[in-house]
Amino acid sequence: MTALRPLIASALVLVMGCASGGIGSHIQMAATTASAAHKASRPISDEEEYYIGRAVAATLISQYPLLKNKKLNDYLNQVGLAVSLHSDKPYTYAGYHFSILASTEVNAFACPGGLIFITRGMLNAVNNEEELAAVLAHEIAHISHRDGIGAIKKSRWTEALTVIGTSAAKQYGSSGVSQLVGIFEGSIDDIVKTLVVNGYSRSQEYDADKTAVAYLAKAGYDPSAMKSFLNRLASKKKEADGGMLKTHPSTTDRIDNVSDSIPSKTAETGGLKKRTDRFKSTL
Amino acid sequence: MKDLLSILPVLLVLLSVAVSSAEQARIITKENALREDCRFFSPLKKKVRLNDLIEITSKEGDWLRAKHKGTAGCIHKSAVDEKNLDISGVSGSKSHSASGSEVALAGKGFNPQVEKTFKEKHPDLDFKAIDAIEASHPSDESIRKFISSGALNQP
Repeated sequence: MTALRPLIASALVLVMGCASGGIGSHIQMAATTASAAHKASRPISDEEEYYIGRAVAATLISQYPLLKNKKLNDYLNQVGLAVSLHSDKPYTYAGYHFSILASTEVNAFACPGGLIFITRGMLNAVNNEEELAAVLAHEIAHISHRDGIGAIKKSRWTEALTVIGTSAAKQYGSSGVSQLVGIFEGSIDDIVKTLVVNGYSRSQEYDADKTAVAYLAKAGYDPSAMKSFLNRLASKKKEADGGMLKTHPSTTDRIDNVSDSIPSKTAETGGLKKRTDRFKSTL
Repeated sequence: MKDLLSILPVLLVLLSVAVSSAEQARIITKENALREDCRFFSPLKKKVRLNDLIEITSKEGDWLRAKHKGTAGCIHKSAVDEKNLDISGVSGSKSHSASGSEVALAGKGFNPQVEKTFKEKHPDLDFKAIDAIEASHPSDESIRKFISSGALNQP
């Protein structure tokens, strides 16, 4: 117990000092600086991810125009939300929103934060609600895994943190905001290039497929829909050339990767028929 | 020993301050709600907004029982900054509470001011279309009915 006395006394000196100034205030200042440095290394927040996602989405729709069809859009959002509520991240900063791009390309894009686009070509390629849910589940998995944010070059966020750390207020001066906008633009470019040109890594795609199968099963969709969709995509490789086939690993490899994850239990037949009927009546 | 006993009350006070301030967590979504029960689509008791501080009282699976300005209810853990969530008394996890400076730090970085300047630099980008996508959102009731009519699992 005697050995503890100096420690306890030191702790009290620190606490009292912090309250009354003097040595304490220096210690407090040092602690604050250390704390600020720790906070400065924070990751991109959900709110920041949202603003990045909006700019990525705006850039994508400048290349692929939106398809305006309320009935189809409402259905797409209902299927997407029925899956996202069973995801690891059912709440994002401003929620999930699904929309259709007027393109014959077979493709889908997940913008950071929860904006998800699917092409008309992809809607034509899926056979039923289960397969549509599988495609959306894959995109939701990319958002849950923050793969879009991971596509931003590390040096950009390091630079952004320096700007953020040097400004005391939430409103930046013209120099600060100009620097941040430059970094923001670079980040958008990194993500759009990854989504449209380079694709994510093979492991990110495989992980998204496996996670999607888990989301489908939790939501009550037939998880084997992921495999049946990929099988058909592989058989129609010529028609589906470009689009997602350009940015994703080979469909055969994706089927191999996902096969073991599919539980043996299939969806209840009555529900499957109801879902297939509403899919056909909407599309 | 006498010395130790004499400073014990001070240590206890310090400890209680640390414990009581460690039960707060910060809302990280634009809007959310404390619900009556710990499930989606349960009736709303109180709306909460970004950076609101809530007091966590217990944990039920992926849901948290919490209080905000006297109103108690449930909120999903994905709506809360888990880093700032102290549920040590409940689950044994290790973290710390949301401090005032952390709350002040929120909103810095890529924020509305950065988006506004980005938009001015890129007038060709159609942010109004993105706003419209975000504004068009099915109601909780329509999603609940959609899930039910398709014999899917309620979340």
